[in-house]
Amino acid sequence: MRIHEYEAKNLFRESRIPVPRGDVAASPGEAHRVAEEIGLPVTIKAQVLVGGRGKAGGIKFAEDLGEIEELSGELLGMDIKGYKVESILVEEKLEIERELYLGVTIDGSRGCPIVMVSSEGGVEIEETARNYPEKIFSREVKPSQGLRAYQARELAKKLGFKGKPMLQLASIIGSLYQAFKSYDALMAEINPLVMTRGGQFVAADGVLEIDDSALFRHPELGIEAQDRIPDELEREARKIGVSYVNMDGDIGLICSGAGLGMATMDMIREKMKPANFLETGGGMTRQLMAGALRVVLKKGNLKAVFINIYGGINPIHEGAKGIADVVREENVKIPIVAKALGNLQEETWETLQGVGIKVVKETQTARAVEQLFRTLERGCG
Amino acid sequence: MSILVKADTKVVVHGITGKIGNRQTRLMLDYGTRISAGVTPGRGGEEVWGVPVYDSVSEVIEEHSIDASLVFVPAPFAKDTCFEAMEAGVKLIVLITEHVPVHDAMEIRAMANAEEAVVIGPTTPGIIYPGKMKIGIMPGNMFCPGNVGLISRSGTLTYEIAGNLCDMGIGQSTAVGMGADPVVCTSLTQLLHMFEEDEETHVVVIVGEVGGTEEEKAAQYIKREMKKPVVAYIAGQSVPPGKRMGHAGAIVERGMGSAQSKVRVLKEAGVKVAERPTEVSELVKSILRRGL
Repeated sequence: MRIHEYEAKNLFRESRIPVPRGDVAASPGEAHRVAEEIGLPVTIKAQVLVGGRGKAGGIKFAEDLGEIEELSGELLGMDIKGYKVESILVEEKLEIERELYLGVTIDGSRGCPIVMVSSEGGVEIEETARNYPEKIFSREVKPSQGLRAYQARELAKKLGFKGKPMLQLASIIGSLYQAFKSYDALMAEINPLVMTRGGQFVAADGVLEIDDSALFRHPELGIEAQDRIPDELEREARKIGVSYVNMDGDIGLICSGAGLGMATMDMIREKMKPANFLETGGGMTRQLMAGALRVVLKKGNLKAVFINIYGGINPIHEGAKGIADVVREENVKIPIVAKALGNLQEETWETLQGVGIKVVKETQTARAVEQLFRTLERGCG
Repeated sequence: MSILVKADTKVVVHGITGKIGNRQTRLMLDYGTRISAGVTPGRGGEEVWGVPVYDSVSEVIEEHSIDASLVFVPAPFAKDTCFEAMEAGVKLIVLITEHVPVHDAMEIRAMANAEEAVVIGPTTPGIIYPGKMKIGIMPGNMFCPGNVGLISRSGTLTYEIAGNLCDMGIGQSTAVGMGADPVVCTSLTQLLHMFEEDEETHVVVIVGEVGGTEEEKAAQYIKREMKKPVVAYIAGQSVPPGKRMGHAGAIVERGMGSAQSKVRVLKEAGVKVAERPTEVSELVKSILRRGL
């Protein structure tokens, strides 16, 4: 889960990474007050959880207080790549001498963190990485040891710094790794790290993506992952404890397991379009399945619902009761096709068939998908 | 033979008194797994389906010889449990738990490397040696004994593909779920290597999915070193870029990691790639027929 720039910068500040003076504001009046406190000129930055904000017009500069209210008003409520701007960050405008790039992320296939630095920071960093890989310096970190001070110094030196600036830069690289580690981040990035005309390093931007699975040990962040999901149905699904992705079709989909879900989606797409992707995970209960079907139905205008579940870790016979509850309570009229196999499959089939659900008992999902196609092509007969 | 396990591998179940641990212990015992002991801190002295429960692994190894650990504990305790098992000398750990923090998974993997232990997972359905035993949660009725080595990043899709194979009379030597988190503790390439060395395995099936670069790395290994035929299926061909599909690992990003990239490099390495899960069993059948 990505957090806002201002939140990332607050955490960076606690990790002793220099950030610009400033504060977050939710109204032009608040922006005005922040600017009065830190002095002019200021940078005003839309706080949205998506990259490429600068190019989309989400960053403005103000020279006087009147301009601040005007530009803040423009930014608040603006739509950036589908995200509504609800807050802005008002900061001192930096005198930029150079822009560097610092990032820490996880190399999944190597199973360890990787620190990357470049002297060519800024919005074009991905192009730089593609076209001039020699301009990016990186090193793997042993998860049990962390980034050593001398390793950070080596990286700072590779960017061409010497003496005191080299030591300062190394300390920021070390602090960024520390922030990455202590907040259970999947990614921590400063792009750009500005070297000001006065020779100071300042993190002009900050990105921190935190591992949702680790939020339980970060109550200090005060973040509920579900509150950060913009899509209403996705948010609701998250509260129930299932993964849901909204899509543009009209076949509701409920699967146990992401791989099975994706394979099912691939097959449905041969002729029709899924309305969503919903994956139950391994914690199926009667309530969870009832909630899952309710979320799927809420989207409206569905032609059918397709259910594909396996009884391995999941008690599908319990899940089936939840499905049946909803079909009865909400008097569901659209066809439901289900394939359910594994432990206690017979009991599961009985429950589903009891409420008129078409149960496919074969192993091949393809057969069940064909049944779905046939059911819909046949019309109401 | 099989990879990783034998018919008489002795297992300790961590989190055996929990709802899932209890139920899955019953199913494994029914399937033939030798479960010597269970561990739940604070519940030492109890029994689950006749299996004695201990407070710690060190108490277990005083009285039993243990070959493998099966972990069902909640995610916050997964790292500690794996460390405990490895420190007690257990060389095979199956980590079923979902939502293990990625930083913990990295530390578990690093310790496994240092201890020369094999950790399968996290978020794995486990290992099954069809007809003999299983360490994990897969439904036994979907598998049957034979000569196909099955490696999967998905749980339930593995059951489906194994079931399809069985319907065509093709059994499996061993099926292993590697998990689909951003960091897994045993790579696809390592598992391919084990199947390459296993005499009972004649063909290997890879069930992959979008996200990560495991399949791309494995393709290099297959091209360079594997002699056994490999069949693959990659789920998520129609997943829109940048959408999260349940597993944290299943994120489409840049060139590598997309289903198309995986299919391309696997084909270049000589792997037969199925368009649909159903086609896997047909491809395996044609390879086995040619071999006879």
